[in-house]
Amino acid sequence: MRKTLALFLVLILVLSLSGLASAVEITVWCWDPLFNIYAMEEAAKIYSRINPDVKINIVETPWDDVQTKLTTAVMAGQLNTLPDILLMQDNALQKNVINYPGVFYDLTDSGIDFSQFADFKVNHTVVDGRNYGVPFDNGTTITALRVDILEQAGYTVEDFTDITWSRFIEIGKDVLAKTGYPLLSAVSESPDHIMLCLQSAGSWMFDENGNVNIANNEVLKETVEIYVELVKSGVLVQVPDWEQYIGTINRGTVAGTINGCWIIGTIVAQEEQAGKWRITNIPRLDRAPNATNYSNQGGSSWMVLAHSPNKDIAVDFLKHTFAGSVELYETILPSSGALATYLPAGDSDVYNEPHPFFGGQAIYADITEYAAKVPKIKYGVYNYEARDAIAMAISQVLAGRDIDSALREAEETVKFLMGP
Amino acid sequence: MGHVLTLRRRQSLIGWLFVVPASVLIFVFYFYPIVRAALLSFQTGVGVNLQYAGLFNYNRLLTDTVLRAAVGNVFIYLIIQVPIMLLLALILASLLNDPNLKFRGFFRTALFLPCATSLVSYAIVFRSLFALDGFVNYLLTTLRIVERPINWIGSPWTARALIIIALTWRWTGYNMVFYLAGLQNIDNSIYEAALIDGASGFTRFTRITIPLLKPIILLTTIMSTNGTLQLFDETMNLTNGGPANATLSISQYIYRLSFEYSPRFGYAAAISFMVFLMVAVLSFIQMRVGDTR
Amino acid sequence: MKMRRLLNLLKYVFLFAMSFVSIFPLLWMAVSATNRSVDVVTGRILPGTYLVENFRNLAAQHRIGLAMWNSFRNAITATIASLVVCSIAGYGFEIYHDKGKDWLMRILLLSMMIPFAAIMIPLFMMVGKLGLLNTTTAFVLPTVSTAFMIFLFRQSARYFPVDIIEAARLEGMSELGIFFRMYVPIMRSTYVTAGIITFMNAWNNYLWPLIIMQSKDSIVMPLLISNLIAGYVTDYGMVMLGVTLSVLPTVIIFLLLQNSFAEGILSSMR
Repeated sequence: MRKTLALFLVLILVLSLSGLASAVEITVWCWDPLFNIYAMEEAAKIYSRINPDVKINIVETPWDDVQTKLTTAVMAGQLNTLPDILLMQDNALQKNVINYPGVFYDLTDSGIDFSQFADFKVNHTVVDGRNYGVPFDNGTTITALRVDILEQAGYTVEDFTDITWSRFIEIGKDVLAKTGYPLLSAVSESPDHIMLCLQSAGSWMFDENGNVNIANNEVLKETVEIYVELVKSGVLVQVPDWEQYIGTINRGTVAGTINGCWIIGTIVAQEEQAGKWRITNIPRLDRAPNATNYSNQGGSSWMVLAHSPNKDIAVDFLKHTFAGSVELYETILPSSGALATYLPAGDSDVYNEPHPFFGGQAIYADITEYAAKVPKIKYGVYNYEARDAIAMAISQVLAGRDIDSALREAEETVKFLMGP
Repeated sequence: MGHVLTLRRRQSLIGWLFVVPASVLIFVFYFYPIVRAALLSFQTGVGVNLQYAGLFNYNRLLTDTVLRAAVGNVFIYLIIQVPIMLLLALILASLLNDPNLKFRGFFRTALFLPCATSLVSYAIVFRSLFALDGFVNYLLTTLRIVERPINWIGSPWTARALIIIALTWRWTGYNMVFYLAGLQNIDNSIYEAALIDGASGFTRFTRITIPLLKPIILLTTIMSTNGTLQLFDETMNLTNGGPANATLSISQYIYRLSFEYSPRFGYAAAISFMVFLMVAVLSFIQMRVGDTR
Repeated sequence: MKMRRLLNLLKYVFLFAMSFVSIFPLLWMAVSATNRSVDVVTGRILPGTYLVENFRNLAAQHRIGLAMWNSFRNAITATIASLVVCSIAGYGFEIYHDKGKDWLMRILLLSMMIPFAAIMIPLFMMVGKLGLLNTTTAFVLPTVSTAFMIFLFRQSARYFPVDIIEAARLEGMSELGIFFRMYVPIMRSTYVTAGIITFMNAWNNYLWPLIIMQSKDSIVMPLLISNLIAGYVTDYGMVMLGVTLSVLPTVIIFLLLQNSFAEGILSSMR
């Protein structure tokens, strides 16, 4: 009897211990099955070799919805409806950390080595000197060009490397005159172009203290002037929406585009254009004091939620994959084009592979090189408000209003929205 | 005498029993959150840092130029689009009410389809149809109605026209369906008598159809007013409020304030109540005018 | 007579034109579902041969079967519940009308007049505290009783011949009996209309399912479609296929039930 009881107790002990060691589930919210989700799945595979009891549960959630669900959960005080890890757009990171104190886990002392990431990316994830995100995808901007069209006008991709905007517009007018192709297309009303030019000169719509810097921002004024010149000269053609923008690239009605490097995924979708594209860095502003040929558009980082019961495991997971595994980055690059800002990955062979679509150019190596030179700026808490205000200003300027008064109105609007 | 009163009383009470379950549900799931939202509208602050501040938000919204633009836009849609749409729906419904009409089922289905699709999909279609080199411009220039292609999304009034066209396209069939159901309840003999008396189609439409459909017309008017003032989907997906906030709707602004910008829920709630007030006033006027037994 | 013929012809021309304008975008959508993404974006209007491939990709990357089922279950539940609750209320408001009920109806109408974004968070809080997050109940309950539906049934009840009720009462039928045995069958076209509209709204509902959904097993079609457009590179052929599939249930239900439109009160009474 006693023996049976003992055996029974041992059995229960063993079962409960194995229950203790049983699967921990880490829930992740992110979007895009071909990019972020794919990367997460590969990371999960790698981590399962290190810690087999951890299951990564990916819930596909578009960015707008991540923002909506996050806000709703925090405002309703239902933090337990949030995941363990979520993907955050860099330009919204400051806003969310500052407005929702205590919701995100401070990763500064977690053991993750942030020096292994491109400077500018880490900068976006730091609030008040503390790290809140593991940088992920690369939004480093590139100029992608149809060299077959350029050739007709007598230019090569070298003519576009390390140049200024005035030179770009000059060449653009010439190409337009000789071939009839505009060099660029953009979604009208979108401030993206202005934003990336601003960042390329280390400037932004807010200064380091978070004060609005729109009306008296000479760099901003220059970027607007350039945009207006691009549109008026026909070097840049505006289209109503995103699908049309992609259409201009895939249909070949433009000779190039300037955007974050993730635009490569769209470019390579048109097989007929294989071999006809090359990339280079972007033009720099003529007058701005700190102008460079490098900038960033988009990009996101992984964040851990502070209330998560498994946050230490989540951190460990991120540390061994996105913040520590060159193998991960090598795996995801070929099929997804998912470029990292994890610097050690840039040294690997996969990153130095010539890309056939781009005529054998080692584009990933180039982009990683550009990423290291992107100026650091802080997006600020009121980034989205400023974006909308600038979009409105651009619209007004294109319709004839003078830049100064349009920017002044934009600044007033942003100040109004900032409160009290 | 006393017996009759009791019967009526009894029936009235039973009537209340019919009405109570639905009413309770609305009180729980709508009015309780509305009260909480009202409380929120008296608080100000960003994110979770909220403090009570009386009428601060309501004062604030009076000086908000973006909000003013949004209100203007929405009223433009209301005044132009709703009457056109409802009239069109009425005409279509009375045409389709004819049992001798051929292809009735096809017309009915075709006209209903637009409201069944999710906006996401038809937004892509509409934007490409109205692009500079899109189908609509192609038609307009080929038929020589215009000299050069119209940049629909590029200038304020054409963008608003685009929204109005999209709204009419999408919701005419929806309202038509209600009118059809209503028309089914009207005795055909009335029409036959009128026909014998020599009434024209137009007279039959204005003197018989419209007056008899009054209850349903009131329903659709209130619903359309409500829907237009709370408009969100179309302006968000077709024009994103542009150009330069020329098509921005109030609900879109509320969404931005809540989920895109640094969230100011108190202010967003105050704007919501402003919308509430506007719809309520308009609806009560409509009820006063049109609610006859 | 010639005038008559001409008017008749014009009538058909008008109707065909309106129908064409209504269907054209949707036809384009369905055609795009058979094309590759690149072709869709570059404006192709002819059907392609990629339907099966698009479907395979869609099914492989997203759980379309699950989403269709969840959407269907939510929508049917919401529709049936709503029809029962709201029609009884609408009938009650009209047939037993008195000043008090008229005022209550006006007050209930107020509930529709506030933008959902304002009440979303308190509602979420309430449902969360009740522990109902992620359940079909949570999805359905707030949508079961809407002022719109009640109002629709009330206005429709105005056409109901009241003398039938009196006659039935004299024969000793109970009030509830009158409702179920006389009113419901006769007002069939109103039920069909209300049913289709409720189903459609429940099916297309986006914001509320988004915030109460807590696991990927609860995904519904509008959310799935939103996922399709969320990436850096969008497969537009796949998106159009997803959207076409999403429209089908409502359309099918409409087609199945639309003959009931043709029968109003009077024919139902005979």
